[in-house]
Amino acid sequence: MIEKRLERMGVMTDRGKATAYGIFSLSLLLILWICATSLFQWIEPRVLPSPTRVIGQFAWILTEPFSGLRLPGHILSSLERWGWGVLTAGLIGIPVGVFFAWNPWFRTFVNPVFELIHFIPPFAYIPLAVLWFGASTATQAMVVFVAAFPSIVINSQLGVAQVEKIYIDAARVLGASQLRTLWRVILPAAAPSIYTGLRIAISNGWMALVGAELVVGKVGLGFMIAQGQENASVATIFVGIITIGCLGVLIDTLVQRTERFVLPWRKVAS
Amino acid sequence: MDQSRTLQVAAGLGAVLAWIVIWAWLTRPGGPVPTLYFPAPDDVWAKFVRMWQRPYIGSTLPNHILASLYIVLTGWGLAALVGIPLGIAMAWWKRLKWIVFPTFQLIRPVPPLAWIPLTILWLGIGDSARISVVFIAALVPWLMNSMLAVYSIDRLLLDAAKTLGANDRQILTRVVCRTALPTLVAAARMALGSAWSTLVAAEILAATAGLGYVAVNASQLLDTDVLLVAMFMIGILGIGMTGLIGLTQNWLAPWSVLGARRD
Amino acid sequence: MEQSAGKMASGTTDPAPEAPAKLELRNISKWFGPEGEGVHAVDDCSIEVKKGEFIVVVGPSGCGKSTLMTVGAGLEEPTHGEVLVDGKPAGPPGPTRSVVFQKFALFPSETVEQNIKFGLQMTGVSAAEQEARLAEQLKIMGLEQFRKSYPSELSGGMQQRVAIARALVMQPEILLMDEPFGALDAQTRTILQEEVQRLHREKHYTVLFITHSVEEAVYLGDRVVVMTRRPGRIKRVIELPRDVAWKTGDIELASEHPEFIEFRREIWGLVREEIVSI
Repeated sequence: MIEKRLERMGVMTDRGKATAYGIFSLSLLLILWICATSLFQWIEPRVLPSPTRVIGQFAWILTEPFSGLRLPGHILSSLERWGWGVLTAGLIGIPVGVFFAWNPWFRTFVNPVFELIHFIPPFAYIPLAVLWFGASTATQAMVVFVAAFPSIVINSQLGVAQVEKIYIDAARVLGASQLRTLWRVILPAAAPSIYTGLRIAISNGWMALVGAELVVGKVGLGFMIAQGQENASVATIFVGIITIGCLGVLIDTLVQRTERFVLPWRKVAS
Repeated sequence: MDQSRTLQVAAGLGAVLAWIVIWAWLTRPGGPVPTLYFPAPDDVWAKFVRMWQRPYIGSTLPNHILASLYIVLTGWGLAALVGIPLGIAMAWWKRLKWIVFPTFQLIRPVPPLAWIPLTILWLGIGDSARISVVFIAALVPWLMNSMLAVYSIDRLLLDAAKTLGANDRQILTRVVCRTALPTLVAAARMALGSAWSTLVAAEILAATAGLGYVAVNASQLLDTDVLLVAMFMIGILGIGMTGLIGLTQNWLAPWSVLGARRD
Repeated sequence: MEQSAGKMASGTTDPAPEAPAKLELRNISKWFGPEGEGVHAVDDCSIEVKKGEFIVVVGPSGCGKSTLMTVGAGLEEPTHGEVLVDGKPAGPPGPTRSVVFQKFALFPSETVEQNIKFGLQMTGVSAAEQEARLAEQLKIMGLEQFRKSYPSELSGGMQQRVAIARALVMQPEILLMDEPFGALDAQTRTILQEEVQRLHREKHYTVLFITHSVEEAVYLGDRVVVMTRRPGRIKRVIELPRDVAWKTGDIELASEHPEFIEFRREIWGLVREEIVSI
């Protein structure tokens, strides 16, 4: 009843209420966690560490080396491998996607290999990558590449295929060569779709990297969680999971923000 | 129309054949690619036939396949049992969404794989650890798409149902749940993709059977041909299950696959 | 011919006060968003629809005439004013007030016959009765051969026939039609207009009909309510002759009748003022 009246006065909007409910439920969860661990010890610390224990572990990994590196070091080495994989996927994937749409024969020929990469989950490549490259950065980067490549190709191809023919005709009537049409007309029109592909690739690559690091390697966030499992330290695993999640959100937000600068002509941001 | 389709299929088959020939040529005895890194096609085929009959690291290939399918389908199915009702309920009662969604948003950005070490610590390396990781991997797409399915229903349909005398419960069961079906089929496909790919990783990390387990052992034993058999099987089963889900749309939601006739 | 001008506030210019109107919208105002800040869609509109009467509301696009419909159907609460059926507050939407929407609003997952039976099943009509009423409607609307089809297999005109059948099968006391032919092509529209005219003549439905087509208003209406731009107010109410020969024939013939032309000119003049004057 009160809620209804506040609503009518415009004080309590749906958005405000959603936030209030959200804060309430999250605090409840936190209180439950504190009660279960620090306060009443319903759950053994070995199984579920208390929030203070997790924060302590976080501070500890931040200052003391864990398996050779501090937390920033692990983060950086993860980011490096991920960056290489996504970069290579973009450099190869965008041209392949554009040529898929440009030349159907090229597409028919390359498609079987592409579908193979597309349908075998990236993690299934881990054993193969280990066999090829051993426990090196190349192994991780290959897994990231395999995870990122398909969405880039598919979206680049879609973007080019969706360019309306009248634009191409208009450019031709104005005397543009094929290459210039591609550069001036088709690529800008396809850019939003290519960008979407990159975005998916970036987050898929991040997921795959964690998987690869869990299995093989001596540094990185995934390795850190695996090490936590080895040492039966749930607190370390928590620190790893939280860091991975936060970085994932951070990267995605950054990519979303840059879209406005990279693609100023795109009207609707999805 | 039909003719160009036949041509397409023929060209596709031709391309596959061409690649197999290229593969065979590259891996021929004395060829440029050593078979330790990439085995020849006939070796892979021979290994496949052999694995079908004789056990490799404990089980025959069919049994490894069944082990993988059991885990993935259990986790995927359990996630559906939780995700679909919860997703629909969250879209229908916004208070429920306000309460549950923030927690969900907290878990969502964590790659499902990152839970593997935790579940192994909590549940051991038995089936339950893998099932729960697959469950988490499948839950996100199930829940998100179930919510989306309800949100994408035209409000007008709800209005129409109200003016025809339907109460809230009738609208939910007869209009919302049925209209959402095609989107739920898409959700099933995405959830399965996520579950299948996570399962492979989970099996690489902790299992005693299954295709991922075969792959990681083959890699350690340098059985590259076995590794390729495992990878192909993983890919083919993925395609097969996705295809089966696509077929269910024909009888679950026949209206959504009809071509519209306009005058 | 023009009998009552200005607002029809109840009791002032009401020509027949003996029985309460079948449907009455009394001093309806509707704000979307907070009052005074949001969008003011409808301002102090009063419309009475008597039993068996066909009232058409015309106005420029975005004048709030569709809002009037959703309020009348009970789908939206008015900010001020009330909706009465037989002089009593109307309450939530229900099968006594059937609605035909511009965009058909057929359930995509249900066949034609399931769509038509939907309301009967919701209100617990017996199975035998359901079948009987379904058969009757299929026959009236000429849908017998499409009974097993899904909406997506039908043309727009056929879909709207199903929607009309779905509304009529409820044997509603009041029929609300919100630009029902707005999404159809001209030929289909003409045929459906004639069919609605015929149905009204034979069965004497009580209808509140919203449109932006002046021709449609003159051809179908017993009375035409012209609305102003947003916020929608009632500009003029025009009484049309009933049971004259030109209204019972084809719309093609009717539109050549001098009386029809005169009314069309008058109403179009009123609507035009609202569109042009800024």
